[in-house]
Amino acid sequence: MIQQEKRFHSVRIQPGFGEEEVEKILNRLHEAVVLRDCQGVKELTERMIKEEVDFFKILNQGLIPGMLDASERFRRGEFFIPELLMSTRALKIGLNILRPLIQAVKKGVLGRVVVGTVKFDLHDIGKNLVIILLEGSGFEIIDLGVDVSPEKFVKSVERNEAQILAMSCLLTSTICWLKSTIQTLHAAGLGRSVKTIVGGAPVTPILAENIGADAYCREATSAPAEAKRLIGIKGDHETSFIKQV
Amino acid sequence: MRDYLFKETAHPKLLVLACAVMEQEIRRFQNGRVDFKFFDYGLHRTPESMSKVLQMEIDQVHEGEYDGIVLGYGLCSNGVAGICAHKFSMIVPRIHDCISLFLGSPESYQEQSKQHPGTYYLTPGWIEKGETPISKFNFYAQSYGEETARWVLHEEMKNYTRILLINTGVYEIEPYQKIARQNAEFLAISYQELRGSPIFFKTLVEGPWRKDFLVMERGHSIRQEMFLDL
Repeated sequence: MIQQEKRFHSVRIQPGFGEEEVEKILNRLHEAVVLRDCQGVKELTERMIKEEVDFFKILNQGLIPGMLDASERFRRGEFFIPELLMSTRALKIGLNILRPLIQAVKKGVLGRVVVGTVKFDLHDIGKNLVIILLEGSGFEIIDLGVDVSPEKFVKSVERNEAQILAMSCLLTSTICWLKSTIQTLHAAGLGRSVKTIVGGAPVTPILAENIGADAYCREATSAPAEAKRLIGIKGDHETSFIKQV
Repeated sequence: MRDYLFKETAHPKLLVLACAVMEQEIRRFQNGRVDFKFFDYGLHRTPESMSKVLQMEIDQVHEGEYDGIVLGYGLCSNGVAGICAHKFSMIVPRIHDCISLFLGSPESYQEQSKQHPGTYYLTPGWIEKGETPISKFNFYAQSYGEETARWVLHEEMKNYTRILLINTGVYEIEPYQKIARQNAEFLAISYQELRGSPIFFKTLVEGPWRKDFLVMERGHSIRQEMFLDL
């Protein structure tokens, strides 16, 4: 509620623009996500595609940093849930335009990820953002929703032959279920072949390490980079956005 | 267990720093040796500011003014993590959030959460000084219009299945029942009431601080893991 919604109804980009112009437009795309401007995101993304700007550049230097910025503002108390949800909605518009194009280039999926919020926890705003971002980065997602038991997580991982299990929790009282789920995964003999990512407001890096998770995401926006790292995708230019913002 | 920290004085003088939503429930146990200070409920939304605000408050208290500090907060999304009283012993309820206080024990809260994970808890104090789904909707609508507010509230609340009003016995309950029911109708979810218990609040203010309390010696910081059974 701090900032009023702004709109970029008229997006003027000079045809055949150079690097400097691309930078400027990427910054505006970043800003449009932060300002929850769905129309601006749509127009800027489409225009950059038309001008043959690299898809991953649009994703990793415009849309994702914009979402990271919005998430940081939420963490600092400058944004509240409405702003975060509306930024997510704007991001989704951009990702939906890019996804088929990225998939056509990548041919196939990067990996399969089972995602859910742990047992007795019904919060899914962060989890849903992680899903949007992972899908946008080329992962196939199996979304188990909220209040997911350790057994349900593990069964789904087995049935879908997932490489990654990503779990979220918002309540400190449900942190114990992150640990139980990881233990159940190990008990099923999948502890080595399946990598685990944990996240959510009360989760800390120390906690993630103590409960045996393979990766921790402070922000939903770091999920794609962590997921790629876990399954050994490196050197890809699209994984480097975290360092750039 | 460790309330011997106050053994030098049989009747320690305490400063209670607590969330405004529990003001009436805590004030019942005013006994002349306790001072109270209440803070805006909104601190729980930004855990980092919660610890800063409470730490600043604790640091401003002069040594000798009190024998100890009592926090009327649970872990509250890590909002109390890192807080350290350098000049005092500090009592902290070993709970995740204030619902255990209102219901009388962590076990009662756990039972409710397990039976109905999708519960939105309300107390008269929350309705008065905190927020309700309807007040959130009105707040959102002021900034973004009704249509967006409706969408945001749906996204935020879609997994809730029940509103539970905890009657703590210190308020005239009828007006709050009405508001809680209106909220349940607004979300089209079920409505229930439960009688709370004053016992946890009483122990918080009067001791003995044994089960369900952390007794922190001066200079020791609160850490998240102290609240978790991992």
